[in-house]
Amino acid sequence: MYEKSPTNEWISNVVRYRKFSGSWAWLLHRITGLGLTVYVLVHINTLASLQEGPEAFNAKMQVFMQPHWLFAAWILFGLVIYHTLNGIRIVIIDFGRGAKYHKQLLYGAIAVGLVVFLWMGYIIFFGHSDHDFLSYAVSFFS
Amino acid sequence: MKIKLRLFRYNPETDTKPHYKTYEVEADKKEKVLDLLHRVKWEQDGTLAFRRSCAHGICGSCAMTVNGENMLTCEALIGNLKKQHTITIDPLPSLPVIKDLIVNMDTFYQKYTVIKPYLINNNPPPPTERLQSMQEQRLIDESTWCIMCGACSTSCPSNWSNPDFLGPAALLKAYRFIFDSRDDGAGERLNILDHSDGVWRCRTIFNCVEACPKEIDVTFHLSQLKKAIVTREI
Ligand code: SF4
Ligand code: FES
Repeated sequence: MYEKSPTNEWISNVVRYRKFSGSWAWLLHRITGLGLTVYVLVHINTLASLQEGPEAFNAKMQVFMQPHWLFAAWILFGLVIYHTLNGIRIVIIDFGRGAKYHKQLLYGAIAVGLVVFLWMGYIIFFGHSDHDFLSYAVSFFS
Repeated sequence: MKIKLRLFRYNPETDTKPHYKTYEVEADKKEKVLDLLHRVKWEQDGTLAFRRSCAHGICGSCAMTVNGENMLTCEALIGNLKKQHTITIDPLPSLPVIKDLIVNMDTFYQKYTVIKPYLINNNPPPPTERLQSMQEQRLIDESTWCIMCGACSTSCPSNWSNPDFLGPAALLKAYRFIFDSRDDGAGERLNILDHSDGVWRCRTIFNCVEACPKEIDVTFHLSQLKKAIVTREI
């Protein structure tokens, strides 16, 4: 009888088996979950500098205000929003009747997530504290 | 049309590792993938081994991975496949291969025995039959369509990473008895399912639903089991 080692088999199956919307949702959930775990480490590392006094912390925060770190923050927000919305989708599947419309839930989550993601991009890159998107929209339409 | 059939081959007596062998067959879009396997075995290479019995989607013995997706080969119309000119057929994933496209399904069946797939009712049977209302029957109807083909459990990533996971097929059978109004074993079965290798390892990936040839919404049934576990009185 031919048997692959379970780990090899698992990885090659994940790579080779056809992916449907549910498989993508699951894979993305895992990948964003790993990304968030890495973020928590960075976050703790930043907070740890508080022990060295406000100057050390402020110096770190200054670094995070540079454009490429702002971009990273935006991507991080993307991970958070997907993980959150898909998490809600899973709760609806497990404890509601969501299994009956899991694809629609996923497309809805992606649509809502995309809007919020772009909005956050606007706030990060173009928003000023006295000029956020909402007041911009209000002044635009009035 | 001409079709290239790329088949997974493994002969335990001569091979240390499996390989693929390609056959060319003439076929019509209205034929089924099983017809192509027959054509190869009957006309080109009699050493090819695969399982099939009814050829009408009832016995559940012909499930294989066709173009990376589990299905019954006797139900799969060539015209419905995404890729038709080259068709790759593998044995069901994550089970040991006995020969060519035949897998050893022992563990798949053993998992059924874990969830006690039989009526548990210690009351003496009434003189005629244990009656069930239409509503009570409807609750379990879909879960009784299962033909135990194994397409769902072997398509499940949770099962690939953890071979001890009971898997969608056995869990669906558990549903079939737990929600049966004539059965009294719900409590003991839910205790078995309430385990890290039980229903909680279902990560709602829906590969089983996509694979099931009987179009059973397996994940929905598992979600009902999860709800039953968290809402039961202990
Ligand atoms: S639930 Fe569907 S895919 Fe799974 S064993 Fe039964 S018939 Fe086959
Ligand atoms: S041969 Fe019986 S289900 Fe395909």
